[in-house]
Amino acid sequence: MVQAVPVVWLVSFITFALMNLLPGGSSGTALQLLGENATPSAIKALNIKLHLNEPFFTRYVHWIGGLFSGHLGNSVATGQSVAGILAERLPVTLELGLVSLVLSVVFSLLSAVVAAHQRGRIVDRANIAVSMLGLSVPNFVFALILVFVFAVKLHWLPSSGFTSISAGLGQNIRGMILPSLSIAFGLTCGYNRVLRADLVDQLVGADYVMLARSKGISERRILFGHALRNAAFGFLTLVGLNLGTIIGGVVLIEEIFSLPGIGQELVQSITYHDTLVVESVVVILAVTVIAANFMTDMVYSLLDPRIRYDRSE
Amino acid sequence: MTAQSELPLSAETPVLSTDDERERSAYRRQEIFFWAPIVALGLIALICFLGPLVLPILAPIGGSISNANLAVFAPGHLLGTDPAGNDNLAKVLYGGRVSLEVGFATVGIGLLVGGGFGALAGFRSGWTDLVISRLFDALLSFPALVLAIVIATYLGPSELHVIYAISFFSIPAVGRLARANTLRIRSATFFAASRIAGANEWTILRRHVAPNILPNLLTFSFLSVSVSIIAEAALSFLGLGVPPPNPSWGNMLALGEQYLDLRPVLLFIPAVAIFLTILSLNLAGDALRARWAE
Repeated sequence: MVQAVPVVWLVSFITFALMNLLPGGSSGTALQLLGENATPSAIKALNIKLHLNEPFFTRYVHWIGGLFSGHLGNSVATGQSVAGILAERLPVTLELGLVSLVLSVVFSLLSAVVAAHQRGRIVDRANIAVSMLGLSVPNFVFALILVFVFAVKLHWLPSSGFTSISAGLGQNIRGMILPSLSIAFGLTCGYNRVLRADLVDQLVGADYVMLARSKGISERRILFGHALRNAAFGFLTLVGLNLGTIIGGVVLIEEIFSLPGIGQELVQSITYHDTLVVESVVVILAVTVIAANFMTDMVYSLLDPRIRYDRSE
Repeated sequence: MTAQSELPLSAETPVLSTDDERERSAYRRQEIFFWAPIVALGLIALICFLGPLVLPILAPIGGSISNANLAVFAPGHLLGTDPAGNDNLAKVLYGGRVSLEVGFATVGIGLLVGGGFGALAGFRSGWTDLVISRLFDALLSFPALVLAIVIATYLGPSELHVIYAISFFSIPAVGRLARANTLRIRSATFFAASRIAGANEWTILRRHVAPNILPNLLTFSFLSVSVSIIAEAALSFLGLGVPPPNPSWGNMLALGEQYLDLRPVLLFIPAVAIFLTILSLNLAGDALRARWAE
């Protein structure tokens, strides 16, 4: 917990520094907003209005103060408050992320357990091959192929667009199928590989499995009650540490399917040089990743007594 | 004499040879699995970099509009042409150059900068370690692609800028591994021995730390080349990478998305190219890891 504080601070500082010091950063904001033909005096006036004429550290302190007091400021391009934008867009991204997460965990658990049970046989080999192939397709390429097959050719599902849950649950689900499958597929392949290898390791090599077998416990109970419980630690860690990947991947998927989530907002704000929005979004995403890693650590130590005792010593 | 000594040998030979053969064929299979992806990767690189020089490949830009939208296997255009009349085969090869250059360059930078700082952090400990480690933590907290998007946009679209942008997450990833590996050898006897012998920091880093951590770092780096190539494709897909008309697999995918209903082949060409490259990289990385883990 104490370790997280300097990291969060560094994250905010790096973001702010990148946005303000890189060429084309906040120095380009006024030019972008007013167009190529803006007069120097108009640019100067806007810079003063946006406090861009103040020194770097003054602006940083001002911004950080705003973050802590909840005043995130307003978008330069649309005038909408950053908090309002986030409130509008976060639910979409959360839904997509959550559905993908659940799908990938369920699929990988199922496939890994079946493969470990049938280890060495044709099902297991096919599973390994599919995982390897799946890991070699980037999620946005997979998304494009899904759009081609299910939207362009078969007309089964919409190729883009978003309906909120309140406007119609059925439409909402139909629109979420392709985007969430695009993200979940790659994750499933990765999780499945690790979990299957871990399960097989336990089933073949672990002493407690040999003891359980010699006691006459059924293979199914050994798999679910013993091996899976032990392999779950590594699996959970992997899932937790991968939350950042999901968030990063969401950006492209939202672009492809025109989902009005935080990723699409980020890309739009970046092209408009809407520094304030980009800064807030990036910091929020990074803090989410830090929180996810921290929680993974907590859950891990709660589940595995060995780690708990190691730390208290 | 000779007959006597040959007798027991000839009796045992059949037994030995079946065992031998089984072992040899298992070994051969292992060797094939090890070398096949590496050879495939070499071939991909060779075709992309040397192909346009030796084979009659057209220029990837400046095509004539009268040649636009030719189908696959059209005379003179093996993979057809795009809506601007550029040859798809030439585009995919020149795009491959970009992908491989960015992939290996970013990982090289990660290895040099990240490996250097990571080893220094593990070696020195104390304040140096604290500062470097927290910096790595902070950089790794950004969702990788998000940080790259921000940097690539603000620097402006070009291949070099994409390399900078992607290096921002290859550096801390390699760095953290280098630190962990260095910490592990710190407790080795040879490490203490060279300290007692009065070797200076640089000598120990160069003679003892580097050779011990490099195998691990190289394997990891090799595995992350595919991550970099995917990131490059993603940036170019968003229009933040190599600026069109110069081809890259990412901007070819973007073009494919535009013509998804009319000319899906424009999507499939770069998709297959990316798939084959990433697959060989993944398989080669797995093989390397398995070999070094032995």
